[in-house]
Amino acid sequence: MKTGIIFRTTLTGLIIFILGMPCFSQSDSLTIRKDVSSNLKIAYNSSLIYPGIRAGIEFPVYFVSLKKTIDSENEKSILKGRFISINASWYHHPDFHDNLYLTAEWTMRRAKGNGFFTEFSSGLGYSRTFLGATTYQVDDLGNVKIIKSAGYNYAMIIAGGGLGYDFSNKKEIQLSVFYKFDIMGMFPYNSTIYFRPVMEFGIIYKPLYFIRLSTKTRNILK
Amino acid sequence: MKRFLTSFIIVFLFITSCQKEKITIGTSISDNFYVENNGASMRVLVEGNTVSKVFIVFVHGGPGASAYFYNTDYIKSNLGDKYACVFWDERNAGASQGTSNGKDLTLPQMTDDLKKVIQVIRYRYGQDSNIFLLGHSFGGLLTSSFMTTDNNQSMVQGWIFADGSQNYPLNDSLTRQMLLINGQQQIALNKNKSKWEEIVSYCNLHTSGFSFDESMQLEEYAEAAETYFDEVTKVDYLKLFEKDAINEDWPLTSILVNYLYSSAAEINKYIAKEEFSSLLFKVEVPVLILFGQYDFVCPKGLGNDLYNKISSTQKKIVISPISGHNIMLQDEVLFCNEIDEFVRMNK
Repeated sequence: MKTGIIFRTTLTGLIIFILGMPCFSQSDSLTIRKDVSSNLKIAYNSSLIYPGIRAGIEFPVYFVSLKKTIDSENEKSILKGRFISINASWYHHPDFHDNLYLTAEWTMRRAKGNGFFTEFSSGLGYSRTFLGATTYQVDDLGNVKIIKSAGYNYAMIIAGGGLGYDFSNKKEIQLSVFYKFDIMGMFPYNSTIYFRPVMEFGIIYKPLYFIRLSTKTRNILK
Repeated sequence: MKRFLTSFIIVFLFITSCQKEKITIGTSISDNFYVENNGASMRVLVEGNTVSKVFIVFVHGGPGASAYFYNTDYIKSNLGDKYACVFWDERNAGASQGTSNGKDLTLPQMTDDLKKVIQVIRYRYGQDSNIFLLGHSFGGLLTSSFMTTDNNQSMVQGWIFADGSQNYPLNDSLTRQMLLINGQQQIALNKNKSKWEEIVSYCNLHTSGFSFDESMQLEEYAEAAETYFDEVTKVDYLKLFEKDAINEDWPLTSILVNYLYSSAAEINKYIAKEEFSSLLFKVEVPVLILFGQYDFVCPKGLGNDLYNKISSTQKKIVISPISGHNIMLQDEVLFCNEIDEFVRMNK
């Protein structure tokens, strides 16, 4: 009985919290729709000590611009961006495998007015590995042959977070630098899941005219 | 588009160039290759002297441990200088790769894998290559299966059995007996009394016909037991790991997930009842048996069983007084010297 009351109270609280999330007290909001260019991203995709590269496109989905007036001269601003990114990545682990993988990720970025930003992303993907050395196959008669481009196809999950700095705010250079730490999982890997930590260090280029998408931006003034 | 295609072709060519066949004949070589068999691509590392035409194939324990741990500096310098050491990662172990292949993690399949690894070694380094099998721990069971299946033993010049097990039910009985006898002695000597009392009490309650859980518990006690003796060489596994993991490009997460999967896989329940003692009479090739005096996991009684059952005329059993379950790490000098002598006599 007691458990039932706790459950109902928790559920009600959770619903109120979720429904109340978009509400900002004492705020004015204005939603506009405008064409926003997609971003290009390139990074050194190191699997800890093993080299690799990652390139992708970030398609804008929506933005929330929060501006809060602190006093007559100071204003605090936060820009929350949501992107869908498509990435092609590769790393080389000597003698083990090379891994080429494509991922589609949902990225949540939160940028401060001073240019610093944090982001979190998660996604799904496809991986094709190439074994790190010659691979042989032996038939029942003992004949040996080499398998060309030996490797495996895996489904992938990836999640990670990082931080960066956007130069466009202060210097009007359409570039950001970022560092990100991801954990990727490939399955079914020997009937289980293979995990691998990956670090990205790279740049995001924001061209003014590149795959412009009509994107909703909500401006909130507090 | 052209740029994209060019970049893709360059990356693809770079990747596939890593798969170019590399066969090295030399006195200090390091060749890596994979053997694909029924859904598993198993990594094989050949290190040392291939000019010798002698290949010592390390068959690791587990299931699910990795051959990486056997490739120590001492073995490289004291066996690898004279012979080629072959470190084979069994399926679902170490750097071996595949997809949904868990159902094929069985002893007969692994026996076939081992046969194919030997066939590939011969294909690469010459049909006149001399092969010596070295089975450690579970590798003892796997090599027992190999040696007693069909005419497989004709593929090898000799069999080295190091802290292995050819008979898991007998193994459990011997482990219990060894724990009980040593435990009672240690309690009388007031050494690690509380730990031994727990072990002795368990052994007194569980006497025979061991279930899988009992077998696992006995193994856990056995692993701990050797650490209670000052005579046993202590191995700093962390140091070993730290030194080699980076230098030798160990795929750490692969080693870990393969170990976790294999150590909990169905095969463990199956092999808990497996025995090859009744088939050992088939073995006629020279055999070297190495055991640690303090190996509670695979007691030396297994070595006596093997020695007495095989038909080989050339056979030798050696017990290390300072070693537990990992003789290749705990008594490296004896391990390498005995193998060197055995190989020299039989190659």
